[in-house]
Amino acid sequence: MSSDGGMWLLALGPAGATGLYWALYRYYRNTDKSHDFEHETAVVAKPVTGSERDQKVDEVKGTQEKRISGDNVRQYRQRVKRIQGDSG
Amino acid sequence: MPTTPPPIPPPTGPGSPQDVPPPRGSVPIDPATLPQPIRDELQAPDPVAIDTSAAELKDGLNRCPKCGSTEIRQKPGTDLLICQYCRHEWHGEGVEEEFGLGEGIDQLQGTVIASGAKDIKADTASLMTFKCPGCGAEVTVNTANAMTARCHWCRHVFGVNEQVPNGAVPDAVLPFHIKKDDAVARISQFVDKRRLFALKAFKEQFTPENVVPVYLPYMIVDGNASAAVAGHGEIETRCYTQGSDDKKKTYYDADVYQVERQIDFTVDDLPLESSSERGNLDTRANTNNIINTILPFDTKNAVKWNASYLAGITSEKRDMDVEKLRPRLEDELLSIARAQVEKSVSRFDRGVRWEQEQLSVHGTRWVSMYLPVWLYSYHQPGPNGGMLHYIAVNGRTGETMGSVPVEQWKLLMAALTVGTFLEAIALFLVGHSS
Ligand SMILES: [Zn+2]
Ligand SMILES: [Zn+2]
Repeated sequence: MSSDGGMWLLALGPAGATGLYWALYRYYRNTDKSHDFEHETAVVAKPVTGSERDQKVDEVKGTQEKRISGDNVRQYRQRVKRIQGDSG
Repeated sequence: MPTTPPPIPPPTGPGSPQDVPPPRGSVPIDPATLPQPIRDELQAPDPVAIDTSAAELKDGLNRCPKCGSTEIRQKPGTDLLICQYCRHEWHGEGVEEEFGLGEGIDQLQGTVIASGAKDIKADTASLMTFKCPGCGAEVTVNTANAMTARCHWCRHVFGVNEQVPNGAVPDAVLPFHIKKDDAVARISQFVDKRRLFALKAFKEQFTPENVVPVYLPYMIVDGNASAAVAGHGEIETRCYTQGSDDKKKTYYDADVYQVERQIDFTVDDLPLESSSERGNLDTRANTNNIINTILPFDTKNAVKWNASYLAGITSEKRDMDVEKLRPRLEDELLSIARAQVEKSVSRFDRGVRWEQEQLSVHGTRWVSMYLPVWLYSYHQPGPNGGMLHYIAVNGRTGETMGSVPVEQWKLLMAALTVGTFLEAIALFLVGHSS
């Protein structure tokens, strides 16, 4: 193990302490809980459309990122730019 | 290593109720890595339903349709009403049929609002609202069967001079199903799993028998909507490593796509808190997210409003109208749409970054409803009036969630102890590798 590869180990203590603190705090206080309405509401949906228009627009070469930057496909509650529709 | 507690989580973003909640029963840390007492607590069994048929609930004091007696009880464990005099059993008038709820949602156009106060059959003159001088909550009491009442949040007992003009009356009420013994047992079990680091004063004062039944005001919404989202998605085309040994790094090539999706959908019985106070889920200021978490209810079984259902049970006034709740509804509809389209973009294995979203609400139907909650509250003293902690039990499904105040120093000590232990291992490894 080189010094470079080993030094990160020193973060183990603080990271472990903070991680445990948060895990237990949330277990007691449950600040991260809410109604999972996305999955517990009766939803009837027509088939999703638009996949036929998926269009390749660019290529990425040699990135070290495992996911697309700003990946929010599972962050349903994270609002993005709202284009006004005809709500009524 | 931290010497002060990490800050309270923000009202939005990761770790807040606005974040998509973690799966049920999940703990963000592997219990196997923790000291035995903590592990035991985390791995203790979850609360299970305990159904004792001893106690009865006194809601439902309308007249027996057969003999006219007012000795009417809810048949324990069912939605049926039973006459104590002639033993006749019947079902309360369902709102489902009355308002045609659940039907033709995909045909909904515009905004349909149930009558609220217009169609009330029972006399509501005996409904009085009191403003609690202890905590400011507005509590509604049916003075026809109860002349005194306690605030369900802080247990202050009301006097007549605290009365304020009555507020909104709901269209429907969902009777209690879970009995008090059951609620007490669930609350005890919930707290038993959280004793190690619980605030000392909380443990000393913990008396689950102090749980009270409360009707909380909600708007139950059906909606017919279309949504569209647009953004970019990436598909991995190549994955390779460069460098040698520990300098090895992984690189990815990917194709970037412009992605758009549209969906037409309906939602049936989406519940929204219609008390602005309860709808505020800022976890730095309150623990209302606990009550939000025990949703949903089987609202299809709600019955038409009747003041008799409030016998011995306090309730809270609704103070949010449809227009004020519309942004909340649209926010939730957008979240639902985003969850619905997730599967259709699974080919983008490096994820999707949605950049724009659009919502068209074609029609909505709103019904104001009282939902049954068993509530145990504890006031933790502190700056800015301290913090009200609740343990709430869904009065129909028994789903239980709570906020147990923590003894900060104990939790810090445990975290520091485990952290120090890990650090010792780290120092050992680093020391022996160089
Ligand atoms: Zn009868
Ligand atoms: Zn109060």
